[in-house]
Amino acid sequence: MSKDDFFIGWAETPEVDRRFMLGAGLSIITGTTAVGIGISARQRPVGSGTWNMGEIREWRGIATSEPYGMIRTLDLDGTERTALLACQGKCGVSAKIGALAGKPVVVKGSLIHRGRHAMIAVVDGLDWIREDPDGSIDGLAFPQPEPIMDVSLNGEIMDSKCWFGAMRPARGKIHKSCASLCIRGGLPPAFYVRDMKDQTALMIMTSGGYGHNKDLLPFVAESVSITGQLQRFGDLFLLDAPVSAITRL
Amino acid sequence: MSHDYKMVQWNPFKKRFDVWMLSGVALYLVSFITLTYATQPEGNSFTPIQAMIRATGTLAFLMLNFILCIGPLARFSHRFRPFLYNRRHIGVTTFLIALVHGGLVLLWYHGFSETNAFVSLFISNPRYDSISGFPFEVLGFIALIIMFLMAATSHDFWNANLGPGIWKALHMSVYVAYGLLVAHMALGALQFEKRPIFFLVLGTGAGTVILLHLVSSIASLRISDRIGHEGWLRVAEVRELEDKRAKIIRPVDGDAIAVFRDGDRIAAVSNICRHQGGPLGEGKVVDGCITCPWHGFQYRMEDGQSPPPFTEKIATYATRIMNGTVYVNPKPNPPGTPQAPSEVGGSNEQG
Ligand code: HEM
Ligand code: FES
Repeated sequence: MSKDDFFIGWAETPEVDRRFMLGAGLSIITGTTAVGIGISARQRPVGSGTWNMGEIREWRGIATSEPYGMIRTLDLDGTERTALLACQGKCGVSAKIGALAGKPVVVKGSLIHRGRHAMIAVVDGLDWIREDPDGSIDGLAFPQPEPIMDVSLNGEIMDSKCWFGAMRPARGKIHKSCASLCIRGGLPPAFYVRDMKDQTALMIMTSGGYGHNKDLLPFVAESVSITGQLQRFGDLFLLDAPVSAITRL
Repeated sequence: MSHDYKMVQWNPFKKRFDVWMLSGVALYLVSFITLTYATQPEGNSFTPIQAMIRATGTLAFLMLNFILCIGPLARFSHRFRPFLYNRRHIGVTTFLIALVHGGLVLLWYHGFSETNAFVSLFISNPRYDSISGFPFEVLGFIALIIMFLMAATSHDFWNANLGPGIWKALHMSVYVAYGLLVAHMALGALQFEKRPIFFLVLGTGAGTVILLHLVSSIASLRISDRIGHEGWLRVAEVRELEDKRAKIIRPVDGDAIAVFRDGDRIAAVSNICRHQGGPLGEGKVVDGCITCPWHGFQYRMEDGQSPPPFTEKIATYATRIMNGTVYVNPKPNPPGTPQAPSEVGGSNEQG
C-alpha cells in the first residue's frame, strides 16, 4: 500500500492523504473560527443591567401589592425611590405581601438594576419580609398615580426583571418565551419605547390601576401599539391601558 | 471493519482526527466567547450562559453544514474521503454540542418557573399560526431529536441490525433536521440580530449545501455506455479497464454495477456497499478483495462475500469477454453467490 494513495481508514494513512488532511483540517478549523469571530463581534449590544446575586442585604421601606409587589425605600440612594419586588426565579411576590401592604417592612434580597430602574429579588423561604417595628410611613407612603396625558405609543412589552439585568439579551423574539413565562408568573410587565431620536423610556404596565396578568401574553415581545394613559407614580412611570387597547403592528 | 461491536472503533487515524476536531471545537468556543465579551459596548455584557448558548448554537450549525458537504466533496475529489471515513465522529460531536445549546436554552429561558420547562417550550410562544412569530424553539427541538436518533444509531451495530434500508432512511432525515434548523435560525436569531453577517452566514451555508448536492447528483446521473449484446451490457474494451479499479455501469433499471479488473481477472458486483451504501466502484482491489472507498469494508471478487470473520454479502453479476470487449449481465445474482471471474485470454473468452 505504501506507494499507492488509496485511502483505507483502518490501514496506514498514505502520505498524500496525511498532507491533504493537515492542510484541509487547518483550513476548515481556521475558516470556521473566523466565521465564529465574525458573528460574535457583530452581536447587538445586550444592555447594561446587572444582578449582584451574591450581595444579599436588608431593605427598609413601605410595601405594596398593587399594582405589583413593590417597596418604597430610602435605601437605594437616600432619596424616595421605588424598587419592584420579585422572587429568585420567574415569579412575582405581590400575593405574598398580604397584610403587610401599606406597612413599614424589612425585605431581604439582592439588587437587580439598570440605570435608575431597580428591583429586589427576595430570598427564598418565608422570612424574606417582616414588619419593621421601628419604621414609619412618613414621607414614604405610596402616592396616588397622577395622570400626565393620554398617549398612543409604539414599543415592546417585556418583563421587567430580565430587562433590569437578570438576562442579557432580554428582548425580542429570542427572549420571547422567557418574557412570557415571567409575565405568566406575575412579574411586572414593562413597556419599552424608543423614539426617532433614539431616546428610550420605560413604563410599568397597568390596567384600570391593577396589575396585568396572562391576558397580556399574546402581545409579549412583539412590536405593538398601545393607547392609554401615562401616569406618574412616585419615581415610576405607569402606562395604564386595557388589553383591548393593544394592537400588534 | 465491523464485527466486534463491543469494541469502540478507534484506530490511529480516528484518534488523530478526533484530537484535531476537538481542538478545533475548543478554539471556536474560546474565540467566540472572548470576542462576545470584548466587542460589546462599555457597560454591556452577556450573561455567561447566554454567551455559551450562542457559541454552541452557531458551532453546531456550522459543523452540520460541513458534515452535509462531505458526501458531495468526496465525489468530486477522493482526497476528501478521510473526512467521510470519520463522518460519524463529527456527527456525534455536533449532536453533543447542539445538546449543550438546547439544554442551556431549556434551563435558562424555560427554567426557574413553576411551569415545566418542556411544557414551556411548547406553550410559551403560542403563535403557531404565524410565520415570523412562529415558536422557532420547537423547530430546534425536533431537529435535536432527529440528531439524537442519528447519533444513537450511528454505530455499525445498528446498521447491521436495522438493515441498510431503514438505517439509510433514518440517516437521510438529517436533511429534514437541516431544513428545520435553517428555519430555526431564520425565525429565531435573525428576527433579533439584523446585521448582514447573520444573513450571510445562513445564506452561504444553505446555498453551499444545496449547490454541492445538486451538482453531485447531476454528475452521478451521467449514464454510461449501454450498448449491449443479447441482453448483456457492454462495459469496455479489456485494455481500457485499469488494473485494480472498476468501471461503473448503470443499467436502465436496477442498481448500478461495478466491474472490477484485478490483473487478468474481471468480476462484477453491486456498486452499493452493504455498509452504508458507499460507491464500491470508486474503490480498489486490495489483496484480491474489492475495498470500499468509504470505510474500507472488503468483498471477495469471486463471490461478493466479506472474508471471514466478516459476513457482509453483496450481489454478484456474470461477466464475459468477447473479441476483447467486456460485457456484464445486468441480472444480479443473490448476494454472496459465487460467480467465477472472467479470465483475460482464458477459456471463457469467446470470439
Ligand atoms: C431543544 C432544542 C433547541 C432549542 C430549545 C433552541 C433554542 C434556541 C434559542 C432560544 C435561540 C436564541 C438564543 C439566543 O440568541 O439567546 C437559538 C438560537 C440558535 N440555535 Fe437553537 N435551539 C435548539 C436546537 C438547536 C440545534 C439542534 C441547533 C443546530 C445544530 C441550533 C442552532 C441554533 C443557532 C445557530 C442559533 C443562532 C445563534 C444563537 O442565537 O444562539 N439550535 N436556539
Ligand atoms: S465501507 Fe462504509 S459504506 Fe462501504
